[in-house]
Amino acid sequence: MKYLFIKISIFVSLFFVSCNHDSWLERDPQNIITDEQLWNDPKLIKSILANYYDRLPSLHGVFNTGGMSELDDAMWSGHHDQNGRNDFQYGDDYGRYWDYGFIRDLNLALENIDKYSVSIDEGQKNLFKSELRYIRASVYFELVKRMGGVPLVTKQLIYDFSGDPTPLQVARSKEYEVYDFIYTELEEIKSLLADNNDSQTRANTYTALALESRAMLYAASIAKYNNLMASPITTPGGEIGIPADKANDYYTKSLNASKAIISDSRYKLYNENADKGANFYDMLNKKGSSEVIFAKDFKVSLKIHFFAYDNIVKSITEDNEGSSTLSPSLSLVESFDYLDGSKGTIHNKDAKGNYTIYDNISDVFKNKDARLYGTVVYAGTSFKGTPVNIQAGVAVWENGSYRLSVSPNLGAKYTDNGLWTGFDGPVDNEQFVSNTGFYLRKLVSDASAASTRGTAAENWWPWFRLGEIYLNAAEAAFELQQADAKNYINTLRVRAGFPENSITTLTTDIIRNERRVELAFEDHRYFDLKRWRIAHEVWNGSDTSEDAVVHGLYPYRIVNPGHEDNNKYVFEKIRPNRFKRARFFRMANYYSSIDQNVLNNNPKLVKNPFH
Amino acid sequence: MKKSILFIICICSLVFTGCGYDNYDEPESTLSGKIVYEGNPVGVRTNAVRLDIWQDGYAVKKSFTAYIAHDGTYSVTLFDGQYKVVRRGGAPWEDQPNDTIIVNVKNKAVVDIPVKPYFIIKNESFQKGSGTITAKFTIDKILASANVAEVRLYLGKSILTDQNKNEKAVSATLSTITIGQEATLAAEIPANLVGQDYLFARVGVRSTVSSEFYYTQIQKISLK
Repeated sequence: MKYLFIKISIFVSLFFVSCNHDSWLERDPQNIITDEQLWNDPKLIKSILANYYDRLPSLHGVFNTGGMSELDDAMWSGHHDQNGRNDFQYGDDYGRYWDYGFIRDLNLALENIDKYSVSIDEGQKNLFKSELRYIRASVYFELVKRMGGVPLVTKQLIYDFSGDPTPLQVARSKEYEVYDFIYTELEEIKSLLADNNDSQTRANTYTALALESRAMLYAASIAKYNNLMASPITTPGGEIGIPADKANDYYTKSLNASKAIISDSRYKLYNENADKGANFYDMLNKKGSSEVIFAKDFKVSLKIHFFAYDNIVKSITEDNEGSSTLSPSLSLVESFDYLDGSKGTIHNKDAKGNYTIYDNISDVFKNKDARLYGTVVYAGTSFKGTPVNIQAGVAVWENGSYRLSVSPNLGAKYTDNGLWTGFDGPVDNEQFVSNTGFYLRKLVSDASAASTRGTAAENWWPWFRLGEIYLNAAEAAFELQQADAKNYINTLRVRAGFPENSITTLTTDIIRNERRVELAFEDHRYFDLKRWRIAHEVWNGSDTSEDAVVHGLYPYRIVNPGHEDNNKYVFEKIRPNRFKRARFFRMANYYSSIDQNVLNNNPKLVKNPFH
Repeated sequence: MKKSILFIICICSLVFTGCGYDNYDEPESTLSGKIVYEGNPVGVRTNAVRLDIWQDGYAVKKSFTAYIAHDGTYSVTLFDGQYKVVRRGGAPWEDQPNDTIIVNVKNKAVVDIPVKPYFIIKNESFQKGSGTITAKFTIDKILASANVAEVRLYLGKSILTDQNKNEKAVSATLSTITIGQEATLAAEIPANLVGQDYLFARVGVRSTVSSEFYYTQIQKISLK
């Protein structure tokens, strides 16, 4: 009984205990960051910005090996199970992009920074806001490139639970309205971004100008070239198609932005290696180069990519699998002109169809644009200081003609004790070895262990570089019929080893070819062909087309003992067996289809043409 | 022992139990027909041009696609009901995205879909010469808005011969083509077809406003 009384009194006394420290009970959670904390701490804001920068969209950029094999000048030579990349058609939804989740994140951030930021100073706040707006403009640019005029949503859309979703359903803007939005935004923020001007990985004034230069050029070319088509691609509401009379205005805007970057001493065309070919490779491979305006950076142990693992030359790989995935096409190699200004066609046979005999295996590529060396690894060159071993087989002289013979094993010796097939192939119909006779050099890191999966590569991805700005300026100036247009191209060509003023009369074809060779594998080709409205002609699905079909060039060593041609080389043009279907770009691919679920949710959206 | 056998039987019976409620019967009705202009089938590139088929009455919509075969026929298997057939753009005929054809399907429906091609080819004939194939045909303009972009003769080794799949394609010089008058186009038989028993030939015309050709029906030509 007594014990019970004690128990009860102890128990009851617990209820009379109180505390007068309210703050002890109101503690900040350890696992949640509140909006007030986030938007008042520059470090946290930077980390959220890092997340958004990381999500900057691209179609097949940022070291996307598989994607590049579908729309750049290369084929897939990697694992057989992905050979579908050599055997596919651009579907109606190819390149579809509708990331309004990201747009919402950015709008939300812009609203919250206004609402919650009290303790960070105004300049810094404006810088963060401008970076967010830059990223949003980039997303809208990606949307308009692939889908045409899209709904312009610049505020959070919040459902009011009234049962009526119509306020959330935003109709599509006209295509030119989206480009105008991008321009206005960039004009407003470019001076606010000046504090970042020393950074190459955060948006700054010049990044904004670079995006302006590119986006306005796209708008201008659509205004011009869409309307030159026999049947322009348009919708009645203007969601697709830009009126032709806007072209000059857009070209002027693009040219002004390009000029502002070029005239600034901050950026210089990278020209620090006397070897022009190696210089072109270093330009993207060496971080911090004065050429790059804006890049996505990588760092071993923090953020890596596997582009070197995927694409390094077979015999030089440091890993036991992978390598050699992208095999650049002969058509790309041929698009690099000779330094004397003649067309870059490879002369492997004479007019009668007989082989041209070359003393050295690399002689067939002699005197070509130095950018070829910087872009492609071809026979007779080296990578990482190691000579590559590219040779398809031997050409044995028998009964008045050459018999081409290929070894079953890479690196084997032929009966004359000379090399039969090189360690780097090319081998037709084989995986993890070049199928075209070419390997990729551009963007493939030569750092130690970069081609291993354990370490991987940390070279950066160029979103914008000065070389592109020169080309943008040349194209815009040419379209505006300004006489100095060719100077921009000639400056770029001097860096590639051409003499001064190598081009006297500029043409559209020259500009287009320059873009193809200068910007290969930088996620430009597909969009360039689209905006010039020639994609359906270049990739016409025909088996006889040089561009729609990836071809290769196989070197063979001559075996003809006692003859002067013995141990010299001949080159055979081939169509790789693994490349199954000619690329075929239909009118419907100029703008991707909008997902039916999106259309169902928003009856105000109109469909893209042909979908 | 007896218990464990019972146990095994119980487990097995659970495994073999099916459920009759989670499956629909597969669709068994068919909708088929031809794409026609004035009653004649329209030849197209294989796996290229299509019809969209929609059904109303559901909250959300999703179409499905009927691909048109090289000879202009199409065929789909579906459930009984009322459907809307839409002619998709990107075809050798006039785009009519808002003009639907309502089709009632019960067991079997055969519906020919009329289209207006930009151009048609008629009265085509093929002759075998020594190492060449010569085609004679007449091109008619149907829609005033279009001009001829290309006229081509295709030779192939399979019945699926068109702009993308062919062994040989020859383009006509456009100045030699007059609308409504007979034109001639010849092609050499390519080396890899010379020894064959037969080849396939057809002629296509493409208008400036479309990326697809209008093709004649494929013709098998004996080489022996």
